[in-house]
Amino acid sequence: MAVAPAVTYRPQRLVRTRRAVLVWCFLAPSLIIFLLYRIIPLLWNVALSFADWAPLRPMRWAGFDQYEEMFYDEVFWQALWNTLLFIASAPLGIVIALGLALLVSSDIRGRNVYRTIIFISYPLMTVAVAIIWRWLFEERVGLINYVARSLHLVDQPIQFLNSFFWALPSVIAANIWQMLGFYMIILLTGLQNIPPNLYEAAAIDGADARRRFWRITVPLLKPSLFLCFVIGMLNSFTSFDLVYVMTGGGPGRATELLVTYIYKLGFSQTRFDYAAAVTIVFFVMLVTITWMANRLSGGNAGAVEKD
Amino acid sequence: MKRRTVLQAALAGATTLALPSAPRAQTPRKLSYLTWNISDQEQLFKEEFADFRSANPGVEIEWLDKKGPELPPFYQTQLVAGTAPDVVDLQGAIWVEYAANGALLDLTPYLQKEPEVAKLFNPDYLASWQYQGKNYMLPFYVAKTLLYYNKTMFKEAGLSGPPQTFDEILSFAQKISKGEKTGFLTLNFDWLYWPLFKMNGIELLTPDMKQAAFNTPKMAEVLDRLAKATDSGAINKISWTGRWVEPNGAFAANTVGMLHAHSSSYFFVKGQGSWINESTLGVAQAPGYWATPTNHGFGISKNTKNPDLAWAFIKHVTGTKWATRFSQSRKLLTGNIAADRAGLEYLRKDDPLGAQVLQTQLEHTEKFTGNWPLPIDAQLKDAFYPEIQNAVLGRKSAKQALSDAERAVNRVLSRKS
Repeated sequence: MAVAPAVTYRPQRLVRTRRAVLVWCFLAPSLIIFLLYRIIPLLWNVALSFADWAPLRPMRWAGFDQYEEMFYDEVFWQALWNTLLFIASAPLGIVIALGLALLVSSDIRGRNVYRTIIFISYPLMTVAVAIIWRWLFEERVGLINYVARSLHLVDQPIQFLNSFFWALPSVIAANIWQMLGFYMIILLTGLQNIPPNLYEAAAIDGADARRRFWRITVPLLKPSLFLCFVIGMLNSFTSFDLVYVMTGGGPGRATELLVTYIYKLGFSQTRFDYAAAVTIVFFVMLVTITWMANRLSGGNAGAVEKD
Repeated sequence: MKRRTVLQAALAGATTLALPSAPRAQTPRKLSYLTWNISDQEQLFKEEFADFRSANPGVEIEWLDKKGPELPPFYQTQLVAGTAPDVVDLQGAIWVEYAANGALLDLTPYLQKEPEVAKLFNPDYLASWQYQGKNYMLPFYVAKTLLYYNKTMFKEAGLSGPPQTFDEILSFAQKISKGEKTGFLTLNFDWLYWPLFKMNGIELLTPDMKQAAFNTPKMAEVLDRLAKATDSGAINKISWTGRWVEPNGAFAANTVGMLHAHSSSYFFVKGQGSWINESTLGVAQAPGYWATPTNHGFGISKNTKNPDLAWAFIKHVTGTKWATRFSQSRKLLTGNIAADRAGLEYLRKDDPLGAQVLQTQLEHTEKFTGNWPLPIDAQLKDAFYPEIQNAVLGRKSAKQALSDAERAVNRVLSRKS
């Protein structure tokens, strides 16, 4: 009698071990790639941020020198401010996308065509988007200036990308346009998951369209809205290619984002050590804001809910 | 038996590896060659390689070309990995940083050993590759800034010839500007705008290159005048914000009176501007003959396993025979005196205006400016230029911008290297 439990226990443990090995085998390729291309560079980056180093020069311990420099680096603060403005623009895109999603989820004719047209901006390569918008904003042959002048809205062409005032809003507009299709699809899916009987019951109870929107649509769309916000924010953080192609961070530092500044520090100025320190600060900010956004969404932004 | 076979094989392998390289089977010598955005010359390069191989049997040449922004990061990563190409084509002042950090081979001993090589080149262009008295590169192709002017617009404005002073640049630009027409444009990357300051006697740094020297009343005055001219439309704003396509495109559109740019701009502008011919486009030196060079040169990576072969290779490709072919095929100057003479002769028949443009590149080469041999050149540019932009585009007063620029430049100069 004393031996019997051990006999049944061992095969179960073996099965569990085999299953675990199998799971790890499936995970291993992804984990190895993640380790090689994410974790190790991140750790190396942390080490680099506490050192004085450039290619062909020996690494020297620098303590917090690189972090200290950030306090006096006006470009860093300008880039940080621009990055925050860029992030703050994500809700604007989401609001526009919500309006479009409501429009194309209604019974209007040709709604599938509209959905396709709106979504088409998203799969486009960011570099292509940047080039398209650069030409749209162009002062001599750009469509926007052409229309503005044809309608006598302006006398002189607006130098969108060459103006300290207009450059950042122009790049943000291009970024919103590119993300609009993605936001719309997410919100459309959310809208379609709202049971129609809720609207019917609310209508019977005398709720008008505005109340139905604020009391039913918005609360039930909350997970989709937060998913859009988190992804929009991450996209804003990493809008390197869009900014680099459209303005290169200029004029002056008007469109410099942390991500373009890091690139310039590393690859134009060969200051990999300082670039690493800025990257670490950038990373901490990114993690903090993502965590906060996830908390605000109830901790399950974008989660797939099981029945 | 099996174990014995394995042991025998291991022993044989170890013995082979332990032997000096010479007695081993002759492996082909390999040269890797990295160029910068010149893949259109593939056919010519193939011929050059074949010619080099016939003189150096058993040599393999591996050629790689990288687009504009890709080359520096690529070369840097190769340097760090210890796999840098043997021969590299570098542009602007980027080579100084590599030379200062010991990535490039000092070519001075080779040039001293073979003095006839140095004599092939324009001494001013060759000297622009010197850092701390040592020569690190040989010229591949060369260019410097000049002043293009739209003769038709000059005539309409009652102007008979190109400006001779900075004051004339501004006054001519003012006369030309009207409606959509602007008077003056300059390229602004790689210090190409610096002649505008140099012609006013302004220096960027002190002679020992340890402090900023530009924050002077004269500089504030010049900057203020540039800002006012930009605000009035005499100077096209693209001067301060555009890179390559925008300013050259604007001049090609026949709406700008003068373009301060290097010789490469001519071919771009001509390709876009159907109005361009000898009677409509004038070329001149900038006032004071000041010009900023933007040269490409060949250096040898210090980690090369075949330095002598790499030297032989860069001598080969910059020598008169192949430099002449290159000059004729690409319509540019190479810094090789004989090749440029032949290239210009060829171009005079094919494109006389193009030849006039290139001719300016061989004159007054003693008046180069904006090409300081500083390993921190990129950092200086990044500290200085945004403040200049702030001033000329009216975001800051000239004095404020200069003060901020001075602080930023001095911080770069004082930073621990």
